[in-house]
Amino acid sequence: MNIEALTQLTQFEVDERAHIVVNADVCRTCPHRACVAACPANCYTWDEATQLLSVVYETCLECGTCDCVCDQGALDWGYPRGGYGVRYRLT
Amino acid sequence: MAKSFDVIVVGAGPAGSLAALKLARAGKNVCLLERGRRPGEKNMFGGLVHYTPVLSELIPDFTERAPLERHVYKKTLAFLTEDSAVSLTFASGAFDKPPFNGFTCFRPAFDGWLAAEAERAGALLLNNCTAEKLIIKDGQVSGVTVKGREGELHANIVIAADGVLSRLGRQAGLRDGLKPAATGLGIKLLLGLPEATINERFGLARDQGADISLVGATGGMRGGAFIYTNRETVSVGLVVHLDALAASGRPPYEVLDGFLDHPAVRHLVKGATPLEYSAHLIPEGGYKAIPRLYGGGLMLAGDAAGLCYTNGINLEGINLAMTSGVLAAETAIEALEAGDYGARFLSRYRKKLAKSFVIKDMKTFKHAAGMMHRENIFEKYPRLLANIMEKLYRVDGRPRTKLLNLIRREALKEVGLKGIAADGIKIGRSLL
Repeated sequence: MNIEALTQLTQFEVDERAHIVVNADVCRTCPHRACVAACPANCYTWDEATQLLSVVYETCLECGTCDCVCDQGALDWGYPRGGYGVRYRLT
Repeated sequence: MAKSFDVIVVGAGPAGSLAALKLARAGKNVCLLERGRRPGEKNMFGGLVHYTPVLSELIPDFTERAPLERHVYKKTLAFLTEDSAVSLTFASGAFDKPPFNGFTCFRPAFDGWLAAEAERAGALLLNNCTAEKLIIKDGQVSGVTVKGREGELHANIVIAADGVLSRLGRQAGLRDGLKPAATGLGIKLLLGLPEATINERFGLARDQGADISLVGATGGMRGGAFIYTNRETVSVGLVVHLDALAASGRPPYEVLDGFLDHPAVRHLVKGATPLEYSAHLIPEGGYKAIPRLYGGGLMLAGDAAGLCYTNGINLEGINLAMTSGVLAAETAIEALEAGDYGARFLSRYRKKLAKSFVIKDMKTFKHAAGMMHRENIFEKYPRLLANIMEKLYRVDGRPRTKLLNLIRREALKEVGLKGIAADGIKIGRSLL
């Protein structure tokens, strides 16, 4: 299964406030951008043309992988406000 | 919102809810904070709750009351190469009758049930509350603030059962951020299959369940895969070390896809309906990575305290979490009775844990975290095993070699003398 199909299986209560903010300037010079491949929900995208790293926080599974593998201090990562974010029904 | 409690427990997971239950039963004024709309909706695990004495003591009829799926009857350890599998299965009548050794279950259901038990005992459960900051007064923790809300919650003691990332434990300076080499990423796909199909494919009857751990299924990365049977679903997933994952540059769900397509796995999940996808981190640093567990007015429990271990055979966390929650609650009850919430008094918590199986087991397998970093275990040994098995069974008209010679020859070919010696020492120190 591809990742779009996988994250569609999971339910989210999306907050209008982002709980992850990337510092694109820092990401531009990051030697690895490990977050892009490591994120299990494929929230991070590196655009070679614009040299921009972007994050889609709406389908974040709140695992913390990105924050852990980022050694550049480029992430402002926190849990969403109470009641928002991922909502596992079964698992 | 400004209220005072004897104890605030942050996180209605297994550690937090059992702590709250214990405190409420002792007549303490306890508040249980949960950031989800209901307990369990932020939580996932592979799938197994082992027999845990503190749970049975607090809720003696828990096997009848808890939302459990199947009791584990069959345990399998399997080693995979690209196209083969070597496995060892233990199925026992001893695991097929009470006291059951473990049950598969779902965290939204299990955690929700456990939090409701705490509520029934008198704990105040506040959902939709992400604890944001510790309130420090006179150098001691005296409450928490809640994200996005005005006001503060006060208490004599805070038990931070706020999970593997434990923002509160970090704020208090009790622990550092997670290190990729000491952290596992677990991802899981829940697959729906008819009950009869599961029973047939896994060789089960009634409520019998299977637990399969697989080595060599993670694309050469340090890690493993798992398959657990639930009543009408199968949980499949993998756990990989974050440093190995980052170095590989491969998305974890691609590795999972490859695993599901392995010839030994494909037929087990054929035709299943994907139901839910989830991910969570696991503290895998073991004994040496256990942080400071208490400070003035504060104790850490469960994943927040890094209480979790694997030695390649046992994978335990939820039972350690529940036990630590109860021991933190016991310490809090004693502190409330003594009117002393200082770090010195709360050091009793560490001593209680050290006397329990929680820290004893983690100490026994303190070298296992290092063993799990031997790359050979995840690719070369599965291949070595498969090569030996193939040659043992292959009939091709060529003269045979006795077992010991065969093993020696294949081992030398695969890992070399130095490799065998180095791995042997690591594995031996960890397990023997």
